[in-house]
Amino acid sequence: MTDLSMHLTTDEIELWAQGLLPAARALHLADCSLCRVEADRERKVILELVSLPHFAPTAGFADRVMAQVKIPTASGDWTA
Amino acid sequence: MAWAKQGHDAAFRELVRRYERPVFSLLYRMVRDRALAEDLAQETFIKVLNGIKSYRPEFKFSSWIFKIANNAAIDHLRRKNLDTLSLDGAPNAETPDQMRATSLQLGDRAESPLDEVENRELGTAIERAISRLRPEYRSCILLRHVEGYSYEEIADTLELPLGTVKTYIHRARNELRGYLNDRRD
Repeated sequence: MTDLSMHLTTDEIELWAQGLLPAARALHLADCSLCRVEADRERKVILELVSLPHFAPTAGFADRVMAQVKIPTASGDWTA
Repeated sequence: MAWAKQGHDAAFRELVRRYERPVFSLLYRMVRDRALAEDLAQETFIKVLNGIKSYRPEFKFSSWIFKIANNAAIDHLRRKNLDTLSLDGAPNAETPDQMRATSLQLGDRAESPLDEVENRELGTAIERAISRLRPEYRSCILLRHVEGYSYEEIADTLELPLGTVKTYIHRARNELRGYLNDRRD
């Protein structure tokens, strides 16, 4: 049994920001302005991080890699 | 993976196609230089594909490739000592004068098309804040929130104790909050 008055841990705040905190612990946020401010700040940073895009290398990247990879043949030899 | 281990060209290409963006993105955010990140990504894939026979299937393939990529970036940063450089100045710069003295002066030379692309891609507040983190914090926070890795997977990938990974990520988020708040104030 967790005490409702216990402040959220950093791990719990991360879970809350992801919508994964058990409801019983999330109740604490309704009564604790300290945790609410902390959790809101954390959520903003996490949201910015998870929204970051992937970047693509320039065209032909795979060809440039494959040109330098030794591919093993069925006999176990390697070809460039 | 099994096909790649048997040496099928198409399977190798598929692995490159599948992982080129996440691997390149991690490296680009680590070194903040497109051309260099691409060289390191190429080096990573060549190492992975040439060493595919040593891959152990009990580990996630993506963890293996990110481990090699991260090592390449950290080695590079150590060699060049680039981890103290960022657009906003050295991470330990505390006053505006110190920040100006240690920051990259983009206006000192004509901006190339590649510079423009880099500024556009990595110029947002959150990207600049990430660049100010220590490299080991940076890789942990990117694997956690951009790649969606669990703490345990990050610990396996970077060969760090679980507690260290948690500490790095919590500190990184605290620092990011600080940098982002500074910008808003």
